[in-house]
Amino acid sequence: MKRLAPLLLLLPFLALMGLLLWAMGCALVQSLGYIPAFGLTELTLDYYQALFTDGTLTASLMLSLKVAFLSALSSTVLGTALCAALLALRRGRRGALLLVRLPILVPHTVTALFLIVLLSQSGLVARALYAGGLIDGQEDFPSLLFSSGGMGMLLAYLWKEIPFVAYFVAALMGSVRDTLGEAACNLGASPVRAFFHITLPLSLPAIGSAFLIIFAYAFGSYEVPLLLGSTLPKALPVQAYLEYTHPDLRHRPYAMAMNGFILLVSLLLALVYAWLLRRKLNAGRVVQ
Amino acid sequence: MSIRFPRVLTAAALSAALLAGCGSAAADPTPEQTLPTDFDSLVELARGTTVTFYGWGGDDARNQFLQTTVADTLKEKYDITLEVVGMDIDAILAKLSGEKGAGQTTGTIDMIWINGENFYSCKENGLLYGPFTQDLPNFNAYVDQEDTETLTDFCYPIEGYEAPYAKAQLVLIRDSAATPEAPTSTEELLEFVQKYPGKVTYPAPPDFTGSAFVRNVVYDICGWEQFQDMEADKETLRAAVAPAMEYLRELNPYLWNGGETFPASSTQLTNLFADGEVLLDISYSPYSPAVNIEKGIYPDTAQAFLWDNGTIGNTNYIAIAYNAPNKAGAMVVINELLSPELQAAQYEAQKVLPVLDEEKLSAEEQALFDAVDIGEGTLPQDALLERRLPEMPAALVPLLEEIWTEEVVGQ
Amino acid sequence: MRRNPLPALAVAVAGLCILLPVALLAVWSVAGRWPWPELWPESFSLRGFQELFASYNHTGALLLSSVGLSLTAAALATLVGAMTARALAFHSFPGKELVRFGALFPILVPGTVLAMGLHTVFLRLGLADTLAGVVVVHVITALPYTVSILTDVTQACGKNLEEQAAVLGASPARAFLHGTLPALAPGLLSAGSMAFAISYSQYFTTLLLGGGQVRTLSLVMVPYIQSGDRTLASLYALLFVGSALAVFAVLEGLIHLWTGGRKWN
Repeated sequence: MKRLAPLLLLLPFLALMGLLLWAMGCALVQSLGYIPAFGLTELTLDYYQALFTDGTLTASLMLSLKVAFLSALSSTVLGTALCAALLALRRGRRGALLLVRLPILVPHTVTALFLIVLLSQSGLVARALYAGGLIDGQEDFPSLLFSSGGMGMLLAYLWKEIPFVAYFVAALMGSVRDTLGEAACNLGASPVRAFFHITLPLSLPAIGSAFLIIFAYAFGSYEVPLLLGSTLPKALPVQAYLEYTHPDLRHRPYAMAMNGFILLVSLLLALVYAWLLRRKLNAGRVVQ
Repeated sequence: MSIRFPRVLTAAALSAALLAGCGSAAADPTPEQTLPTDFDSLVELARGTTVTFYGWGGDDARNQFLQTTVADTLKEKYDITLEVVGMDIDAILAKLSGEKGAGQTTGTIDMIWINGENFYSCKENGLLYGPFTQDLPNFNAYVDQEDTETLTDFCYPIEGYEAPYAKAQLVLIRDSAATPEAPTSTEELLEFVQKYPGKVTYPAPPDFTGSAFVRNVVYDICGWEQFQDMEADKETLRAAVAPAMEYLRELNPYLWNGGETFPASSTQLTNLFADGEVLLDISYSPYSPAVNIEKGIYPDTAQAFLWDNGTIGNTNYIAIAYNAPNKAGAMVVINELLSPELQAAQYEAQKVLPVLDEEKLSAEEQALFDAVDIGEGTLPQDALLERRLPEMPAALVPLLEEIWTEEVVGQ
Repeated sequence: MRRNPLPALAVAVAGLCILLPVALLAVWSVAGRWPWPELWPESFSLRGFQELFASYNHTGALLLSSVGLSLTAAALATLVGAMTARALAFHSFPGKELVRFGALFPILVPGTVLAMGLHTVFLRLGLADTLAGVVVVHVITALPYTVSILTDVTQACGKNLEEQAAVLGASPARAFLHGTLPALAPGLLSAGSMAFAISYSQYFTTLLLGGGQVRTLSLVMVPYIQSGDRTLASLYALLFVGSALAVFAVLEGLIHLWTGGRKWN
């Protein structure tokens, strides 16, 4: 019974994962050029090869990696800080926690919409500057969005993901702080010291997961780069999405190969993360 | 460590199983639904059933028209319940092709709003039911059977697999209070952008409207006739459109954001125009100024105009899915949408060009259309149809989009 | 007691950054024309509300069924998440690292791959175009969040409470029900509301796997957002966010009642 307990507990999870793996397999088989319904029956790696012979792809890949990494890093740092600030609030913590959940609920497309309304060259910020006499016309306002550097995308992710990190980490950080952090304080550590030496290190698993989630999301989603990115280079998922919606259904394998590649990169990153986390945990155990 | 070897075996076995598990299910014999060809029997079959209509859901005028006027008429005349489902054509394609791949014979989609490249790929891949239009009385009575847009869609033969229900045509829109001149050719457009640098742009293909605009530039500079029977070869096309690409590169430095970046969608362009960030909007709905002035999105002084050499027109069609659960019902509904009453109501409600042949209408039926007030800022129907150019073959469209991406953006 | 003003200040700044765009949505939802260089709309219009509450849209029914669907998916995702978390936190078994890692997997999978792959699978299982199928895919997409949050929280809570109760002679079930569960409540709540948020905003998966037979608020909203009609898009976005927040407030109140308002730890 004791041995069976974990299996029983895991049963629904494993069933769902089984479905997911089956589904992934079905999609990835398409990336190898196997879609009998469209008369494609030969297994080949050509579609993956095409990824690397195409010059624009490297630029797309670098852009996607850069935006995903910067978004994940800045959101995690700022979000953790926001989380700590939230937990340090004496009053209004519940209201504030409700408030940070708001951006999590706003769809990315809506975020893109109001970023355009705010920050485009005819946006509200530009209008305010114009009204204040600081710029002479729309042309004087820097073109922040749609730039090939990916600034627009970064801003959209920051608005959505900083509150996400704060909320995501809050559950763990809250319980760590209320138990061990307080204990440390009672033993005479300053709140700041207790935070950096006890609460923060013990909250790292959640913070790390948050980083990974954001990276994977920003690396793999197409809505934000589609609406706020430049025409060239396009983010990798936008390329994949355009191939996917290509009217010639025989282009599907290209889309699936790009998606397969996106998945591969995310997986690699996740593995590195898992490895780091494990080392961290082991190191933690030694110290304890 | 000892389990490593079997694990490889498991993986191999698993991937073999996957190939089997993802292919089509053991070919169930397709129960070929033989429908009666006379319309009255179809109506009897359809009575009391539900018909689903899948298409893009982002147009409030269309949703309202279908769910009120059309749904009420169908309920009253045939006791048919119309269910309008908002779904992008991309998702419809994904759904149908998935169902086809799995060998499904009865799906959920009856009618599909479709045209052009998507019709081409659906028909090529056997995702549509047909031919069916020859059995629709209204199609036979009111639609011009010899018209190229009845026979072909983007130069691809229709062969009775879809029925036209509304016409679209590319128009340019300016605010007559902001700019006195309307550039009605590519030459004038070049002068226009030089006069108003940074204030003009067009959506980046493969956006539907942006792609049509680029085709229109190609037509204006290279003529349209040569493309009608051109083979789908990228290099042939590249050579043929070279002067047009040269022209588009010449425009670049004077465009919004210096031609480095283009709006990703026509809706983004419309918002830029509404905010006064750019001076021209481009639309595939010739009556969009009327709709947008009424909604308060455009200024009252917005005005549509055409190019002297004409602009591209295309038609919206309805097709029936290969695995439609209610094919008879779909045919009855499509037939009803082609009635003069609903075509006139659609003209009024959605501000789209009707598809019926004026010569085939009785005086009373014609009066229904004449009574429609089409609104501010638009061109009359004859002016539009006079300068209407045919679409390019569907297979050339994605190639031209690729060429544009390679040769124009940021150059 | 010393009071550091920094946290309150940081939260206030964050709150402003969050609320300002949302307030902008509220203005846009009734705005008509708003051209450069006006700082306030030139004209206002109620056409968004007219469209939203037009009888043929059945907005009320749509809201109810969306909330119902997402609550179901969230409850299931939380349950599965809690079970998985318990296995991960209290048991050792072969492949544990793999499970921990696998739980994050659905996030790494690009959306189209997930939806199209599952479509093929669901067609074979007869789950395509059904409510059950949509619930299953929502649960899968929410799992990484619930497993992750609940594993952390379960570990932090520890098994102490249950063990203490067992020592005092309570049955395991009783010990779990009266000891661990209330202690887990805040974690369950945050996992549940995260799962709700994920499920409530699913678009492509609902569209493809529900095949248009399952209607949700997202399905109706997203095309309007894509159409770039800022008035309608803003209004739908407000309705979407507002209804979700209302659900959260109710859930939070219920949990508060259940745990008797006692301090969370």
